[in-house]
Amino acid sequence: MGKSTWGKGMTLAILAVFVLLAAGPALAQDTIKIGFSGALTGPAASFGVGIRRGAEIAVDDINAKGGVRGKKLQLIVRDSEHNPVKLVAQHRELVEREGVVALLGGTNSAEMLAVAPILNDQLKVPVICPATDATKITENDAWQEGRDNYVFRYGMFGRGQSNFLVNMAVQRFGYKKAALLTWTAGWGVTGRGELTRRLRELSTPLVADETYDTADTDISPQLLKIKQAGGEVILNYGLVRENVYVVRAKDKIGDKTPYFSAWGLATPAFWRAGGNLGEGVLVSTTITADGPQPPERLQFLKKYWQRYGPDMDFVPGTFAAHDIVHLYAQVMEKVGTDPKAIRAALENIPAFKGLVKDFKRPVFTKSRHDALQEEDFVLGRWTNGKLLQVHFDQEGPHVILDDGAKRYIDKKTLALR
Amino acid sequence: MRFLVQIVLSGIATGAIYGLVAVGYSVTYATMRVLNFGLGMWVMLGAMVGYTLHVTFGLNVLIAMLGMMTVLGGLGLLAERFTVLPFVRAGSDVWIMSTLAVGLLFINAAELLWGRNPLAIPPFLGKDPINFAGIGIYPQEILIVIVACAVMVALDVFYQYTLLGKAFRATASSTEVAGLMGINTRRIASLAYALAGCLAGFAGLLVAPVTLAEPQMGTILGLKAFAIAIIGGLEAGRGIFVCGLLYGVLEGLLSGYLYTGIRDIIGFTLMILVLFVRPNGLFGRRAEERA
Repeated sequence: MGKSTWGKGMTLAILAVFVLLAAGPALAQDTIKIGFSGALTGPAASFGVGIRRGAEIAVDDINAKGGVRGKKLQLIVRDSEHNPVKLVAQHRELVEREGVVALLGGTNSAEMLAVAPILNDQLKVPVICPATDATKITENDAWQEGRDNYVFRYGMFGRGQSNFLVNMAVQRFGYKKAALLTWTAGWGVTGRGELTRRLRELSTPLVADETYDTADTDISPQLLKIKQAGGEVILNYGLVRENVYVVRAKDKIGDKTPYFSAWGLATPAFWRAGGNLGEGVLVSTTITADGPQPPERLQFLKKYWQRYGPDMDFVPGTFAAHDIVHLYAQVMEKVGTDPKAIRAALENIPAFKGLVKDFKRPVFTKSRHDALQEEDFVLGRWTNGKLLQVHFDQEGPHVILDDGAKRYIDKKTLALR
Repeated sequence: MRFLVQIVLSGIATGAIYGLVAVGYSVTYATMRVLNFGLGMWVMLGAMVGYTLHVTFGLNVLIAMLGMMTVLGGLGLLAERFTVLPFVRAGSDVWIMSTLAVGLLFINAAELLWGRNPLAIPPFLGKDPINFAGIGIYPQEILIVIVACAVMVALDVFYQYTLLGKAFRATASSTEVAGLMGINTRRIASLAYALAGCLAGFAGLLVAPVTLAEPQMGTILGLKAFAIAIIGGLEAGRGIFVCGLLYGVLEGLLSGYLYTGIRDIIGFTLMILVLFVRPNGLFGRRAEERA
């Protein structure tokens, strides 16, 4: 092989590189990019992984049917490691370098509170949050000032969740004296404030206001105090690990006080770690995948199981992420891929058939960026490893078992009658 | 009264966990003035490896315990050789960081290998609480207290009556003299590190049925145990364990009669006060007493 041949080869190679580089943006334009940054490692990893999986299934479904306006959707994912600083930087990178036109929200409220003003004032790309529940994420500065708000939510929000839990306990179950047992970290703190507010609004006496720290292994002192104070129901805001300690301490001291929890316990991880000590715990959530389900949800569950195995650790977020991608697709089919147009169109969707909810009303409005409202939330009861939806009739709250049997819930102990 | 008894019992159960982990700090400190700052993560790793052997492979709990301690002891030898010795030899304090780094490495590895959700290990002696006159306690909690006491006795016997234990103590009092007397102090240093690893792992698998096994389980446990080791006096093995028990009971009383939120403030303020009055800890001897 002569020198000149080598030289020619080299020139060709360099040329090829330039051609590819030039074609890069053109190739990129053939897909529509949707970004997601959230915790994929660390303590909140199961949330981020759940959201990513829900979105992946939706993207593949839409692409199999030809994509949006003839273009394929592409999901671009970053791991924020549960760190607000990383998440903000990754949002910038996703928008400015990757050119995403829409985003799925992250996995921790502090992250989304940090990124909300940046999305509204600088990046101007819409985000819909499937997981984070701090009320102020959607009701942010731009919202208060009536400017264009790029932050939406398709999940629980703090005020709504607390109202729902307290309303259920006081109005539907009829407890007269409430006790709080909340986590001293993270969202336990905001939850405690919101629950207290709602109890005051309903003028229900709060007889004990107890907390637990991260990694407190024995919660019996707090539970004994609640018992002594005459609490008829315990309202909880916290995550799986500490709540396994709670149900275990309840078992140890033989305490049967009804236990209502925010959606931190709406995950099978709670049952796997706590076993049948979790029986009877009531949990607020947006959706439960157990018990009788409509066919669309079953179809989605089957796809999930095929791809990722039987464990779905973050049911509400996985379903929500699926719905959010479809919501974006529906909007982009109509108005194209300009982020500003997408944002505006999100406030004008008259109806939407999602898996979490079949919307017969506008999903969002200019003043309401929370798709799901108190009346959309459901109460689940941990029943033999399944989170079954609680229904109400004249005789009171009940669940429907797999064999179709209707079993009423005893209000004093939350046991099945 | 029932309230008080329940709280004290629960406190003792929690305190025994703290105490057992805290003693691990003293093993390496007493022999070679080195602390394993990542010790909490060794506790976690013990629980995780124990979970795999006992729950996943279905091995008898005693066999699982032995297998896990072999693994952790081996890791202890390696960790001492590669992350402590080079720095101690160079006269540098970098080992403080490197012991912590090994701990962080364990957390990441555990997340990859076992996932991030808490894993349940069935209690060794049955699930149901023992209830007596309205006061409840789990058999596993009683087991933790008894076994922890037994470990303390075993450590004492080891230090006082075995040749190797005496070599440990000799190395502790003077590395140079011990070396001149024909003790392989280099080997003693790595054995002490491995022993601390084994002990931490043992504590991990023993307490996991109560605390659950998960990658973050050692972080706060290790920190509290470290505070307790300081209060007790880093060289006083038995003293540290007693401190652990006292600290657990104190925590319970504060949660029960005051408020959980101020518990750690009072606990750690006490720690600082103790150090003011007795800089070598409650049970530690002063330098001149030791000489």
